[in-house]
Amino acid sequence: MVDELLFFMEVLVGGLLAGTMYSLVALGFVLIFKASATFNFSQGAMVFFSVLAFCGFMQDFNIPFVLAFIMAALLMVVVGLCTERFVLRPLMNASEDTVLMATIGLGYVLEGLAQAAWGVEVRRLDLGIGDFPVPWIADNLKLFISALDITAGVVAAIMIIGLFLLFKYTKIGLGLRAVADDAGAASSIGIPLKHIMLLVWSAAGVVALVAGCMWGARAGVQFALVDLALKALPVLIIGGFSSIPGAIIGGLIIGAVEKVLEVYIGPFFGGAIEGWAPYVLAIFFLLYRPEGLFGEKIIRRV
Amino acid sequence: MSNTSTNILDIKNIEVMYDGVILALHDVSLKVPKGKVVALLGANGAGKSTTLKAVSTMLASERGKVTKGSINYDGTSIDKQNPSQMVGLGMVQVLEGRRCFGHLTVEENIISGAYSRKLSKGDINQELEKIYTYFIRLKERRKSQAAFTSGGEQQMIAVARAMMAKPKMLLLDEPTMGLAPQLVAEIFNIVKELNTKEGVSILLAEQNTNVALKNSDYGYIIETGRVMLDGTAKSLLSNDQVKELYLGISKKGRKNFRDVLKEESLTKKKIN
Repeated sequence: MVDELLFFMEVLVGGLLAGTMYSLVALGFVLIFKASATFNFSQGAMVFFSVLAFCGFMQDFNIPFVLAFIMAALLMVVVGLCTERFVLRPLMNASEDTVLMATIGLGYVLEGLAQAAWGVEVRRLDLGIGDFPVPWIADNLKLFISALDITAGVVAAIMIIGLFLLFKYTKIGLGLRAVADDAGAASSIGIPLKHIMLLVWSAAGVVALVAGCMWGARAGVQFALVDLALKALPVLIIGGFSSIPGAIIGGLIIGAVEKVLEVYIGPFFGGAIEGWAPYVLAIFFLLYRPEGLFGEKIIRRV
Repeated sequence: MSNTSTNILDIKNIEVMYDGVILALHDVSLKVPKGKVVALLGANGAGKSTTLKAVSTMLASERGKVTKGSINYDGTSIDKQNPSQMVGLGMVQVLEGRRCFGHLTVEENIISGAYSRKLSKGDINQELEKIYTYFIRLKERRKSQAAFTSGGEQQMIAVARAMMAKPKMLLLDEPTMGLAPQLVAEIFNIVKELNTKEGVSILLAEQNTNVALKNSDYGYIIETGRVMLDGTAKSLLSNDQVKELYLGISKKGRKNFRDVLKEESLTKKKIN
């Protein structure tokens, strides 16, 4: 009995921590959705682009880890700058659908640029954190939990606190929340939309880099990272597209549910249900709670 | 009114098109003298909002364009400006329908109005206290989420937010829409106070002709994109045409739908 409970705990905790990796990817989507009400299809490409550049700086130019990370982060700010100038500004008064299509195009451009610059082979990213159980926890709590999962959890926590402080207590954060509520009214009182867009795309780029590091360390830095964006979709549907805490909680739920279902129900379906179980959960949310758990409800006075 | 230097806003014969095909304004000219309140009156769809948006340059975001004529604000032409530059020049528009930031608190809404100004935290608090002296009601509700305040309070938030930008000129688009008469009076009192104490010039679009003219210095009446009539507020209030068409008062006294029906049945009887 105790063994069974321990096993369940291990599956659950492992799932929760793996879920924070999804949360990190979802965070980038939320940032951009908040400011421009657009699902950024290029987020997956941004993850791939940023982490491949990070690897390239380290492995091809022998730049030290920290410096390479800073350079990759700055590169993502430049990507944000170019996106604002050459994609978003010309489409300023276009419909949301047009912007959505533009992000798909942007994704292809980023994928192409990344592979043209750094090549197509899979790279190994060593963060110095192993993807194996931490001995201390294994000995004392009898739980086998990966060090990389724990790191991802800590990193996600730091990012959410940082973003919360940025939005709640800074001037540009106030501007962002104002734009998220009503972009027209925000521009009528002189909040420059282009500054806000620049901030949001740069922040989403840096978040993509962090998410890319975590996933790259686990699965190798490769083109498949682009498809990670798809895993973020059920996370966003469950957590709510416009909520940062929602992205985190949504990721945790997806991570935990897919692992638990895989272990306990998977055998009845011949296994490998973690690939589609999150989407089934997402469909139930779309049916019964379309704004997600933490999505901003449309407040309407009656 | 002919001396341009005393006019903070001078619109000359503008024509406005949406999407390059829909003609919204045919020929509108109007002037706002410095420190005065000017009312822009007319029914739904007459072109009041379009005129205001042409002035604040918010037209571009709705794919509208000034295709003829000129708009001069405080000595400069506005055709190369964007909305945030206009705010920088001291012209702020309060959009129709209040448009508060619903998920922000009342106080955050008001502070957001100071975004274009470089103020320290202390300066912002000082400005905030000054604004609250005009909008006493808002001070009590400062921590509430704006979406949960009443319509009148939301209108006050929108005006207070615009005042935080320290404007020389305010454009108010239907500030009393859907408000109870008591609130209409309260809003106009505040607007008058801002005008006299802060020296803000005001151009306001209204359907509520009577109250608007009573609180303005000058008025313009527009219909289907053209100025039909203009004059001092007093002269418009006593103008027979305005009385009949916009105030619902005819020479014979108050006229309403029942009177019209009665007249019709009387004439029918005569025919029979």
